[in-house]
Amino acid sequence: MSGSERRPSAHVFSADSEVGNDLAAVDWSATPLGPPEDWPQSLQTAVSILLSSRFSMWMAWGPELTFFCNAAYRRNTLGRKYPWALGRPAGEVWAEIWGDIGPRIDTVLRTGEATWDEGLLLFVERSGYPEESYHTFSYSPLRDDDGAVVGMLCVVSEETDRVIGERRMATLRDLGSDPSVVRTEEQMLAFAGAQLGRNLRDLPFTLTYLFDDDSTARLAGATGIDAGHPAAAVGTWPVERLAQGETVRMRLAAEPFAVLPSGDWPAPPTEALVLPLLRQGGAPYGFLVAALNRYRPFDSAYRGFLELAAGHVAAGIAGVRTYRAQQRRAEELAELDRAKTTFFSNISHEFRTPLTLIMGPVEDLLADADDGTREQLELIQRNGLRLGKLVNALLDFSRIEAGRMQAVYEPVELAAATAELASVFRSAIERAGLALDVDCPPLAEPVHVDRGMWEKVILNLLSNALKFTFDGRVRVAVHADGGEAVVTVADTGVGVAAEEMPRLFERFHRIENARSRSNEGSGIGLALVQELVGLHGGTITADSTVGRGTTFTIRLPFGKSDPPAAAPQRAVVDAQPFLEEALRWLPADSGPAPEPAAPGGTAVLVADDNADMREYLTRLLRSAGHRVTAVADGQEALESARADVPDLVISDVMMPRLDGLRLVAALRADPRTAGTPVLLLSARAGEEASIEGLEAGADDYLVKPFSAAELLARVRANVELSRLRNHHARWRTALIDSLQEAFFVCDEDGAIIEINSAFTDILGYGPEGLPYGPVPPWWPDPETDAEAHDAVSDALAMLLGQSHGSYTIPVVHRDGHRLWAAAAFNQVRDPDTGRLVVVGTFRDVTAEHYAIQRDSALAALGLCLSEAENLDGALTAVLGELREIWQAAYVLAAVFTEPGRPVVTATDGAPTWETLAPERRDEILALHDRPALTPAGSGITLDHPYGTMVLWIEPGPKRPFTEPDETLLALLAGHLSQGLHRIHQIDQQRETALALQRAILGPDRLPSGFAVRYEPATRPLKVGGDWYDTIELADGRIGIVVGDCVGHGLRAATVMGQLRSACRALLLRDSSPARALMSLDQFAGHLPGATCATVFCGVLDAATGHLTYSSAGHPPAIVGHPDGTTHLLDQGRSRPLAVHPGDDRPEATYTVPPRATLLLYTDGLVERRRRPLSIGIDQASAAVRHGLGTPIEDLASEIMDRLTPDSGYDDDVALLLYRHPGPLELEFPAESGRLSGVRAALRNWLERCGIDANTTQNILVAAGEACANAIEHGHRDAPGGRIRLRAAATAGDLRLIVTDTGRWKTPDPATSPYRGRGLKLMRAFMHAVTVTSGTTGTIVDMQARIS
Amino acid sequence: MTTALTLTTDSGVLTAAGEIDMSNAETFATALATAVTATDGSRLVVDLRSVEYLDSAGLAALFAQADHIEVRTGPLLAPLLEISGLAGLTTVHQT
Repeated sequence: MSGSERRPSAHVFSADSEVGNDLAAVDWSATPLGPPEDWPQSLQTAVSILLSSRFSMWMAWGPELTFFCNAAYRRNTLGRKYPWALGRPAGEVWAEIWGDIGPRIDTVLRTGEATWDEGLLLFVERSGYPEESYHTFSYSPLRDDDGAVVGMLCVVSEETDRVIGERRMATLRDLGSDPSVVRTEEQMLAFAGAQLGRNLRDLPFTLTYLFDDDSTARLAGATGIDAGHPAAAVGTWPVERLAQGETVRMRLAAEPFAVLPSGDWPAPPTEALVLPLLRQGGAPYGFLVAALNRYRPFDSAYRGFLELAAGHVAAGIAGVRTYRAQQRRAEELAELDRAKTTFFSNISHEFRTPLTLIMGPVEDLLADADDGTREQLELIQRNGLRLGKLVNALLDFSRIEAGRMQAVYEPVELAAATAELASVFRSAIERAGLALDVDCPPLAEPVHVDRGMWEKVILNLLSNALKFTFDGRVRVAVHADGGEAVVTVADTGVGVAAEEMPRLFERFHRIENARSRSNEGSGIGLALVQELVGLHGGTITADSTVGRGTTFTIRLPFGKSDPPAAAPQRAVVDAQPFLEEALRWLPADSGPAPEPAAPGGTAVLVADDNADMREYLTRLLRSAGHRVTAVADGQEALESARADVPDLVISDVMMPRLDGLRLVAALRADPRTAGTPVLLLSARAGEEASIEGLEAGADDYLVKPFSAAELLARVRANVELSRLRNHHARWRTALIDSLQEAFFVCDEDGAIIEINSAFTDILGYGPEGLPYGPVPPWWPDPETDAEAHDAVSDALAMLLGQSHGSYTIPVVHRDGHRLWAAAAFNQVRDPDTGRLVVVGTFRDVTAEHYAIQRDSALAALGLCLSEAENLDGALTAVLGELREIWQAAYVLAAVFTEPGRPVVTATDGAPTWETLAPERRDEILALHDRPALTPAGSGITLDHPYGTMVLWIEPGPKRPFTEPDETLLALLAGHLSQGLHRIHQIDQQRETALALQRAILGPDRLPSGFAVRYEPATRPLKVGGDWYDTIELADGRIGIVVGDCVGHGLRAATVMGQLRSACRALLLRDSSPARALMSLDQFAGHLPGATCATVFCGVLDAATGHLTYSSAGHPPAIVGHPDGTTHLLDQGRSRPLAVHPGDDRPEATYTVPPRATLLLYTDGLVERRRRPLSIGIDQASAAVRHGLGTPIEDLASEIMDRLTPDSGYDDDVALLLYRHPGPLELEFPAESGRLSGVRAALRNWLERCGIDANTTQNILVAAGEACANAIEHGHRDAPGGRIRLRAAATAGDLRLIVTDTGRWKTPDPATSPYRGRGLKLMRAFMHAVTVTSGTTGTIVDMQARIS
Repeated sequence: MTTALTLTTDSGVLTAAGEIDMSNAETFATALATAVTATDGSRLVVDLRSVEYLDSAGLAALFAQADHIEVRTGPLLAPLLEISGLAGLTTVHQT
């Protein structure tokens, strides 16, 4: 096919390239429509619209309803029929559904009206089989160019996925919607079957099978198929694979599937999926056979639906079976409960007879017993009463259970009755240290109660409150609320945890581990109370918060109308047993008197929560010669045993806080008590209980009741045995305790498990707290003392990581003070357990530590002070050192030269006095008034040479400031104070010396044109034997002197100073250099050390450059000419000073040419070992030549640098430079009338510089313009300003600087045309012009070449 | 104190002697204007041969009358008159 040959058709189909191409490929001339180029416009338009739409569409045109479709329709619906369908009659394309859609199309063609169908089921054969599909579509008419209906357009959206998805979802939803929670398995399966049976499209039929206990399957449900159908037989399905949990897809062909029901479809299913009904963590419950819809592909959605359906069925079975199991259990429990009640009822009856026979005689005996016997008889009586109370309570229960409780209700003033009962308990409650509040105002009407029962209710509640309350109060209140009387019993006791609340009133339920005064009790008190209240038609509720207390609230209806029974009044319950019992929980007023301990006796620790039992055991054991300590619970026993290890522990099993079994475990876990024999006592008989005790590590087990003889025998045996066993352990303990050093054993986690007494002495922590750690309480606080904490952590890591070693760490004593401990450790293997432990010792090295710290701090401070050059430097260095010592945030020194306004010096990062926190400022001001060297916290006052100084150490976050730190601070402050004073003295001496040096060295101020340098050979002296001098003489002449005394250092300096002064005085008196030197000869002759000094002495006329000079053995001066030649002033020479004094000295003259440079120097500049002096002089000459163009000051430095030997000058060097003429410096008021004078001075100076007339004129104009500008602009707005002009020359350049104090104005040509001309002239006549204008003035810097 | 300047006007010639700077440029300018007015059409000859110093203020006075004057100068001021551009506006005779 070639598109270019069929242009018209290509155009018609161009809206969609893909379907368009296939349409173009159709042989249209074979259809009734003919070739596309002949098609009417209406058809072309319709096809174009069709192809360009993204809605799914097809259309039919012409007499055969020729078929067209677009890309969306192809994708969604047409399937395999594409592209075959294009250009074919529509009836042929959709032959399989023509029965459904043909009539609709007919209607459209006939009537011209559109049709509408929603979700219509159509079986289309687009995938090779009839497929269930759903379509929502509309057929609308298509008209030709004449308006006649010639075809139809179908806009369709396929909704197969939606329809089927909703159908499946509905089934799953229904399966999960079983409204009843629990049912029988049959009911559940029937319900599931009903739901499955409603969806015969996805599930044409289903079969549900369950496995019985013997793994055989049985049919349990069927939908869409008869249960008797051959296919339903179990053997049809692969049962074994399903039992393994496999899912199997099966073809349903041949027998027994020959004739199958077809569900909602015309034909029966051909396949089925068989799914296991999975059970969590077990074999499947059974399996589900689901026949598959043959009109849908079996895809993952279909599979997922079936798995979910099977999952629902399996979950239903699981729920039903769980329910069944629970129900059975509940029935069993109820039966057990009934049996127990009967048992208790029977046994209680049996108890009452012997009890009566015990209590009667005891009472008789008490009547005339002596004191010793009385005590014992009372013990019997008390416990008899207690037993009677228990038996009565049990009987009451069985009566209630059996419905045989005989109540006698009578109208009772409930408030009064309740208050009376509460008052019975008052003394017991108050003895327990609690307060009893009774708030029972009379009620308006009586309440019908059985008095005996009511008393039991209130007494039980009060006894309960007392048992669980350790401080605070118990409150009993009665009030009316609506038609009810409300009685509350509230306490501030330990409370009941929320999870325990539901079981609070449950019979025999006891809350484990609740802290109580006694562990006695049967757990029936509250249950009985609830039953009794119930008999009165009332309710009881409890409200509790752990740690806050519990409130019981009873509500009883008023005016119960039961007639008072005719039965005689029941005997009122005696409150005595309740009270007696409660009193025994309280600490005895006077327990058994501590008998003097028999020194050799065995130490026995007795733990029992029953005071009577405790007393009984104590008496018994003491009578056998043992030392007895008695405690009331396991916790107390453990603390006591740890503090002082007994020889034997006798403990009850059931105790509050820590029971006997847990006590044994705790004792065994502690190495010190691990070997102590423990004898457990328990009321719980039986093999099991004793094995439990022995497994916990008890050495022996005795069941109550036991005979005294048996107990004593067991005690003796156990003690003997442990004596033998523990002999070496005791020896070891004694040995360790005798150590002077602290001893510890540490387990592999780093916890300390054993210590000796020296350990306790040093750290304050005793064996009672063992084990300690792995982060024991003596570790420094990680928050406030991170540095120390880190040190200890590191040490622990080392301890656990290395086989042996030693370290020194900071630790905290129990009382809070800081210690330093030096420890050494070794890893060893525990021979008993085979575990690795660390054994270590340490000693208190706090004193040594602080001594070392003190010494090193003092050394550091001393170093700082000795290295400092002056007072401020010393203070700054010391503050830095102090900061280092304490790791401080900052260290600050405030010197109070005047009150309240200190001069502050501080380390980096410190605030200034102004930014210091106000409270810190106040602290420092307060310190100022304290006596010196007495620290207050981290601050101290000391004496500074300028006044009182406060030194403040701001502690860093990682290092607290402790008491030893204060001591150290005081010590350091003392040294610092002394050191500062010493430095101050040295400072003063040095300043004096420096002032003297300056005085003898040379003139402070040089005449213009001069530059000097002086380099002493000896440091730190700043003077030596060499000198230079300039002396301003009359007539503008200047004396210039450079001299060199023999030697250097201080001695030479003193000689030099005198010679210099003498020479100066002589020149002032007589300006002849020769005569001055001759006089100096005389002077030097009398001055020791002055002989042989050399001097170059000259007198210079600054105006003319005329120089007269004379040299006393001094090296020649050098003159550098502007033309680059040099000349040596080597005339006028004779001997050094004081050699042949009195002889004449020659004198020479020389005229220094303009812009020449004159260099005077001492031999230190040019003299080198093993080298003729002339070489040095040549080098100096070269340096001068080189620097002819350099400004004089720079040249001085340059010469010193160029001639410096590699190792530096080893002799004094003095150097004096002069360039002729000296610079011109003028300062004048900014007035135009001054210009003429300035010009005259400048002209004169230029002449001295040897400048030719033309250049002079140029420079004058440039300078004149600069000055005029300064006057005109710089000072127009600020009259009275001054202008400075400076001119200086080098050999080839002239530099002119005009400075004013005003603002330079950039000339505005419009207002002053000639000013702009001024700047132009400056630039024209000078080589470089720079104008710098700032707020303080303007500088015009100009340079001109003059050679 | 003002700068020393002598101004003489004689038969179409204004002779200046001394120094002209901003302190006396005004005087110079006035004299110049008066003399120009008096020359009655012909150009005034300004003789600067005895002037030792002339700054831009003085030049400004000359520029103001450039169309009405000719200038005589010595070698001292010649470069100035050249550089300032006056020589381009008026006739400058150097002797």
